[in-house]
Amino acid sequence: MRRIPKIPRLLQAVLVVVFFHAGFVLVFDYLLAQVIPASLLTMYMFFVVVGVFMVFTFTEDSAREMVAPIKALVEDPSKRRTRNVVFAIVPLIAGGFAYNHMLPRFEAPLELRSIHPAPPSSVKIGDKRYNLLTLENPFRETETQDPERFAELVAEGAAIYIANCQYCHGDKLDGKGPYARALNPTPLNFQDIGTIAQLQESFLFWRIATGGPGLPDEGAPWLSSMPVWSDFLSEDEIWKVILFLYDYTGHRPRAWEQG
Amino acid sequence: MNPKYAALTALIAALLLAHPAAAAPGDPDKGEAIYTQRCVGCHGDEGDGMGPGAERLNPPPRDFTMGFYKFRTTGFDDYVPNDADLMRMIRDGMPGTAMPGWGDLLSEAEMWDLIAYLKVFGGLEEEVPTDQVDYGEQVATSAESIAKGKALFKDRCDECHGASGKGVATKRLKDDGGARTWPRNLTKPWTFRASNEPRDIFSRISVGIPGTQMPSFADPKSKKILTIEERWHVANYVHSLAEATQVVRPENTVVKAGRVDGGLPHSPDDPKWAEAEPSTFYLVPQIIARERFFTPSNDTITVRALYDDTAVAILLEWDDRTRSLPGDPGAETVAGPGLSQDAVAVQLPAVIPEGMRKPYFGMGDAAHPVNIWHWQSGPADGVESVRLFDARGFGDLQERPAGESGLRASGVYDAGTWRVVMLRPLSTGAGSDIQFSEGRFTPIAFAAWDGSNGEAGSKHTMTTWYWLLLKPPTGSRPYLAALAVMILIAGAQVWWARGAARRRRDGET
Repeated sequence: MRRIPKIPRLLQAVLVVVFFHAGFVLVFDYLLAQVIPASLLTMYMFFVVVGVFMVFTFTEDSAREMVAPIKALVEDPSKRRTRNVVFAIVPLIAGGFAYNHMLPRFEAPLELRSIHPAPPSSVKIGDKRYNLLTLENPFRETETQDPERFAELVAEGAAIYIANCQYCHGDKLDGKGPYARALNPTPLNFQDIGTIAQLQESFLFWRIATGGPGLPDEGAPWLSSMPVWSDFLSEDEIWKVILFLYDYTGHRPRAWEQG
Repeated sequence: MNPKYAALTALIAALLLAHPAAAAPGDPDKGEAIYTQRCVGCHGDEGDGMGPGAERLNPPPRDFTMGFYKFRTTGFDDYVPNDADLMRMIRDGMPGTAMPGWGDLLSEAEMWDLIAYLKVFGGLEEEVPTDQVDYGEQVATSAESIAKGKALFKDRCDECHGASGKGVATKRLKDDGGARTWPRNLTKPWTFRASNEPRDIFSRISVGIPGTQMPSFADPKSKKILTIEERWHVANYVHSLAEATQVVRPENTVVKAGRVDGGLPHSPDDPKWAEAEPSTFYLVPQIIARERFFTPSNDTITVRALYDDTAVAILLEWDDRTRSLPGDPGAETVAGPGLSQDAVAVQLPAVIPEGMRKPYFGMGDAAHPVNIWHWQSGPADGVESVRLFDARGFGDLQERPAGESGLRASGVYDAGTWRVVMLRPLSTGAGSDIQFSEGRFTPIAFAAWDGSNGEAGSKHTMTTWYWLLLKPPTGSRPYLAALAVMILIAGAQVWWARGAARRRRDGET
């Protein structure tokens, strides 16, 4: 039986490291298409390299076998020419890394904000104060008690939505309206399971009525381009839009915990 | 024949015969249900384009009852679209309009059902297109083809689209319904309703855009008729007009001002601007405070900045089809009633924020005022002007003399583009002025007004906050670091090799 030629131990170690790096890129960049901070990849690769080094130098023999090619390169007179080439290239590469590393980066400061900050217990809109802990959609009961009226209310909400909200949140409620791409933070995607499906109707009422400027500081009220809708829409109109948002997406509003 | 085989043969035959234009017939009743759920908001219960959202949309939603479509690939004198044309509009949407692509929400079958229902509105159920666009043999793009296309474009197209292709308006265009329309700015391919691929441009040139003043150039009765080959040249030329600097790179949020020696450029034409890196941002209409504005004519602004020891200069560049000169008869004819000056504004915080807290992006707030530098193009017989405001919220403006802060601005209009330079000393004596500082990320936002499009006061386009950075010179540190690392590593290598050689000699002796 022919034996498969043995891969030198040093090359094995390099291949394992390359494999881990390629795996990371494959999973996060291609399969998940997620933006991963470069620092995280650096940290991950640091542990990979240390781990591989420890495994490959576990016994004295294996350590000796691994460094043998490097040792030979430096010490074997017959490899003198190769050595000189390697010795010229290595400092140049290292110098290049150092230069790049020291270049100023000018990356914009990170702006952290809470997307669904905790609501206040009550909010004053115009002359009226609303207790957000007990506030409910006054039209919600028609859904079971008067389905015809409910359908009318949803249709009215749809009309208000299309004339006011679709520019940013989109015809499909997917947060991709015609102006969405210009906004930072981007408009919420109501189809997404992580938005209105996780929230109570009173939360939506608060967010719609008081808009970006009504956010607490952790929500970065200076950035949000959500208008203060109480300036444009009546209380009833806001509740109708909320009916429409849930009806169109098929999500259910989160209910108060029982008990 | 075995029924199994018969069915299989029929299926294979159907697949072979299936042409993209002749697809599975949809069910109009199912289509109606989808239409009622998804489309009535804009296109209306009656399919007449009069849904509750319609009045704030430009272009307006299609009126299906008319039974004709703007973007089709059937012959110019036909009016019946191909099914594939309708499918494309629904599946991919219409870029630059409020019509999204539905391909991610509706299944193929649902979209065919919808198409079957749309045909009912326009009485197209039984209609079959009689004529198709003749594409002949596509002429691949080349410098030669583009040059030929350019010459033809100059002769046939620039009356409306302008020599630059930006749609510089020399006359007022309207659609068959009498509504104002603007010629396409051909340098912005992302606003093309049905893509800027040469084949799609060829379709537009051949068919025209029915219902608008864009004519067919395949019509033998037209004095401007182009041969198939000529139309491919024009299509290749139009495709080549896309401007790379106007493409928004979403990851770029920083206007980086480079440091220059020997004086800042005071005019937009100064060659020094070539040194500045352009950043392009989307402009959106102001729809969050009274009076809201829903029908913008432009969608991007390109910004460059430079600074030196004493001042910062910002170059603002945006496309505008009209030079709006109130009092000028030509400009008033193009604009119609309510012509105002063109204008642009830069917004900066009065104080560069220390932490995360910025002023409200919409003209600041009570506790965090902003500076607004506002340039206006001037009336017909007057001159351009620049004004300086402190703002503490929408409409809460207080003017100060711009001259006292050393704020200057000057603009040039050429071939469908405004370019305006604003210049201000880095520091001023006024307490409410922003004092610039090298290396600090400074929030900055922009606004623009097209005075021929009814834009004045709160009716304008704008951006949200971005950043301005006066980029400190790189200096010698990266070079020194690289040199030090190289010396260290080279030294270590030599030391190792010498040690090894000595051990070998010792071993031999």
